[in-house]
Amino acid sequence: MALTESRPLALPAGEAEPERASLGVFTRPKGTTGWRSWITTVDHKKIGIMYGAAAMFFLIIGGVEALLIRAQLWAPRGTLLSADAYNQVFTMHGTTMVFLVVMPIGAAFANYLMPLQIGARDVAFPRLNAFSFWCFLAGGLFLNSSWLLGGGADGGWFNYAPNNGVLFSPTHGIDFWNLGLIITGIASLAGAVNLIVTVLNLRAPGMTLMKMPIFTWMTLVTQFLLLFAIPVLTSAQFLLMFDRLFNANFFNVAKGASPLLWEHLFWIFGHPEVYLMILPAFGLVSEILPVMARKPIFGYPFIVFSGVAIGFMGWGVWAHHMFVSGIGPISVTTFSLTTMFIAVPTGVKILNWTATMWGGKLRFPTPMLFSIGLILMFTIGGLSGVTHSVAPADTQQTDTYYIVAHFHYVLFGGAFFGFVGAMYFYWPKVFGYLLNEKMGKANFWLMLLGFNLTFAPMHVLGLQGMSRRIYTYDAGYGFELWNKVATIGAFVLAGSIGLFLFNVLYSKVKSKHLPAPGPDPWDARTIEWMTPSPTPAYNYEPIPTITRVDDFWYRKYGEDANGDLVRIAATEDVAQKRADHPIHLPSPSYWPFVLALGLPVIGYGLLYTRWLCIVGGLIVVAAIYGWALEPPDDPDAVHGDDHGPDDHSAEGDAAAIGEAGETGDAAVDDAASAGDKEVETVG
Amino acid sequence: MAESIAAYEAKVSAADATAPVAHIDDATNTGISNTKLAMWLFLASECLLFGGLITTYLLYKNPLEGPTPKEIFDIPFTSVSSFVLLMSSLTMVLAVSAIERGDHHQLRVWLAATALLGATFISGQVYEFTVFYREGLGYTTSRFSSAFYTLTGFHGAHVTVGIIMLVSLLLLSLRGKMPEHRSETVEVVGLYWHFVDVVWILIFAVVYLIPS
Amino acid sequence: MSTVESPDHTVPTAVLDGAVEEYPRDKLYILTALFLAVVTATEVATYAWPSFKAWHWSETSSIGIITVLLLLMAVKFFTVAYIFMHLKFDKPILTRLFYAGLGLAILVYLAVMLMFRIYFPGQHI
Repeated sequence: MALTESRPLALPAGEAEPERASLGVFTRPKGTTGWRSWITTVDHKKIGIMYGAAAMFFLIIGGVEALLIRAQLWAPRGTLLSADAYNQVFTMHGTTMVFLVVMPIGAAFANYLMPLQIGARDVAFPRLNAFSFWCFLAGGLFLNSSWLLGGGADGGWFNYAPNNGVLFSPTHGIDFWNLGLIITGIASLAGAVNLIVTVLNLRAPGMTLMKMPIFTWMTLVTQFLLLFAIPVLTSAQFLLMFDRLFNANFFNVAKGASPLLWEHLFWIFGHPEVYLMILPAFGLVSEILPVMARKPIFGYPFIVFSGVAIGFMGWGVWAHHMFVSGIGPISVTTFSLTTMFIAVPTGVKILNWTATMWGGKLRFPTPMLFSIGLILMFTIGGLSGVTHSVAPADTQQTDTYYIVAHFHYVLFGGAFFGFVGAMYFYWPKVFGYLLNEKMGKANFWLMLLGFNLTFAPMHVLGLQGMSRRIYTYDAGYGFELWNKVATIGAFVLAGSIGLFLFNVLYSKVKSKHLPAPGPDPWDARTIEWMTPSPTPAYNYEPIPTITRVDDFWYRKYGEDANGDLVRIAATEDVAQKRADHPIHLPSPSYWPFVLALGLPVIGYGLLYTRWLCIVGGLIVVAAIYGWALEPPDDPDAVHGDDHGPDDHSAEGDAAAIGEAGETGDAAVDDAASAGDKEVETVG
Repeated sequence: MAESIAAYEAKVSAADATAPVAHIDDATNTGISNTKLAMWLFLASECLLFGGLITTYLLYKNPLEGPTPKEIFDIPFTSVSSFVLLMSSLTMVLAVSAIERGDHHQLRVWLAATALLGATFISGQVYEFTVFYREGLGYTTSRFSSAFYTLTGFHGAHVTVGIIMLVSLLLLSLRGKMPEHRSETVEVVGLYWHFVDVVWILIFAVVYLIPS
Repeated sequence: MSTVESPDHTVPTAVLDGAVEEYPRDKLYILTALFLAVVTATEVATYAWPSFKAWHWSETSSIGIITVLLLLMAVKFFTVAYIFMHLKFDKPILTRLFYAGLGLAILVYLAVMLMFRIYFPGQHI
């Protein structure tokens, strides 16, 4: 097979070997509808939706834990939770929110959006993508099953040694934390490899790196951070696991071990982790603001390079979490300085976003409100962060509610606001209907109110000396008023999340009576808005050729002699129509699901009975071989395409259905295969 | 050279229109296949994992009780073991070379040789650990023992996974499922194998040879 | 069995393995392996013969041996990476990606060990 002159399919599929005996033991599933299609799907869009749904589920769990904390702290000497229960609740709240809510929402957007933004049909390794999701879900459920099996982890989300050892934490809670996060770590690592290869290898013709949308850039940086940070956490977790399960001496002070080793390894992961959580939200806001200001993003190269700089510099600041751990004045000074420096690239972004809005024809639908909310709330959080970087000041602030205020401002006010805004923004693309705008605005104001009521007082409480991670406080310190305000705020916040979920259901019902929003309800700039809504399974047909940043915008608008924007094409003419012929897509597979199932079985085996380990191990090995050996395609399909050589796990090339619901009449003819290879030429 | 490539491709196209051969340039933006790029990214991340374990070892290598490294290590034995693993890298790369030439018999010979050398290395490790254990270095004896066994154990587990992959490739080849346009599969497994060898190069020097 | 016959065994190697340039194959690999064997022997010699002039720099400390061992280790590391793992012959992006992980690991873990004051004589954690 020679390379064709036009650029072949963006997704290199497996080789076509129809005359060779199939290696597979089982046939590949074919269904595209029903619950089975979700379990076996390898479509990045369905996987993205599942990540989002799972994250919402864990948000409710983590949110209930938060409300329990706030209810307990309503008044001094609260009696709702015992000290032990409180420790479990705040540990699981933090762990759930970080690993099972914010990271998966980032993954949801990265999965759904990034391949669309680069003009690909799917990610580089679709089955690995499915595995990442099921593995994450398995790990999250495993972690939370601790509630039913003896109590949750209770050492804080950062789980310091030697408290995390068997001597001080004899119950299984921390084991569930440890093993559960090892499992989700595997998911993240696989996802990181997958998405990096996708961005580097599967871009549409003409899309150089500096023509990619900002969100794709931020995703790339995030995935590199994940790629390098997760193994550090994993090594720490294996050390802890061996200590707890096999009596090793990694954190056994009696044998000369150092608890600081845990702190270092954890925070070397932990600091890039927080950048990992915020960068996708930064990317999403960078998509929304230009659309709502009808102006290109200000300083595209600066936003890109500052994102990359944050990625690099994030590795040099971890010990600012350890200022009071006795690391010595030289280390403290060094990390104090590096932490101050890292404020610079973030500041660059804030300035660029502001400049994007300046002079633009602004409009303020819900996504824009949330984006502005992110900018303001994150700036507040960033400012308190800068005060932490001054080590002597941090000595006062650390372990108080001042820190709690800081990270909630950047994580909730930053990342979560950005994600909610992006959900309002992208909802029509994903599901084909708009979320109700009035309710959306109410959602925003309620969330802004509740959020600030909850966390602003914590700055005061912290500086007044209220300790964090303690189940109660005494009367007479002056903490009572602001704690009450914070608790009220928390319930208002819960109400706003409820409003969001209600909006989702309400809008879905109402959408039957409303006209469809069409492919481009916001008059947007990037190419994902060219596809029909909801996006068809094959994404683009044909794959567009890119000529510049914001390529879609410049197909719709040009400039006249005065430099004013002038419409050059109607959206209906520029947006793509649904394809009328079948298009090759990777076949579904259930091995990723099976493999993910085996991992928590091993986990339970390590904790309860070693026989389960063997069972789990066998499931894992069987799944790996099943995956590697399954046929690359649906044997009934007719092949009209040629394919490039690719991975040994022979990704499929079934003549699959264009989208769910259409019949799979695989009558592929030359026109279809020519259509597959055809690439849109400009003009 | 362009002519010879074009001529070669034309010949192969005539021979089997549906079985593609490896290309200089994959149809990807970087020109590197997805799998190869993925394996390199994975290996880059493994540096962080092994780095953590090596750092732990370096911090804990002086035990407060039990045998010390100097007392327990058998450098001549480990040197032979290291040499065996190093040579397995050679046989691995000869296997890759063989399949790229279309020499399936040699592929199988070299794959088997690599797997055997790897298995010899593992047996050497197992023997070494048994001797250490009998000499009083259990897993839980001291901080040094935990760190040492964990680091070398992780490495050994990686080698074992590599051996399983090699044997799987060998079996696939014997069943005729490893034509030369799938040479990249062997190459990618080879990358993993060499990395595992490279980690041992690090461990051998840092753990065994460097004196305290 | 394979149904594809390679038309002849003198196919330009560049066609088959994604290499950026031509290079002589098996001979290079065997010579490299011999080189690695010699380096390994030298490493073992530092153990067997610690008082050899080339690495016996000081009576009191083994700084010479440590330096030489680290150098030899690095030579072997990069030899395997460049020749056996093909980095020399592949596109540079692979080298850059690998160095990114390797460099990050070295910097970060060196910093950790520094913070544990591992280099200071007489200190241990």
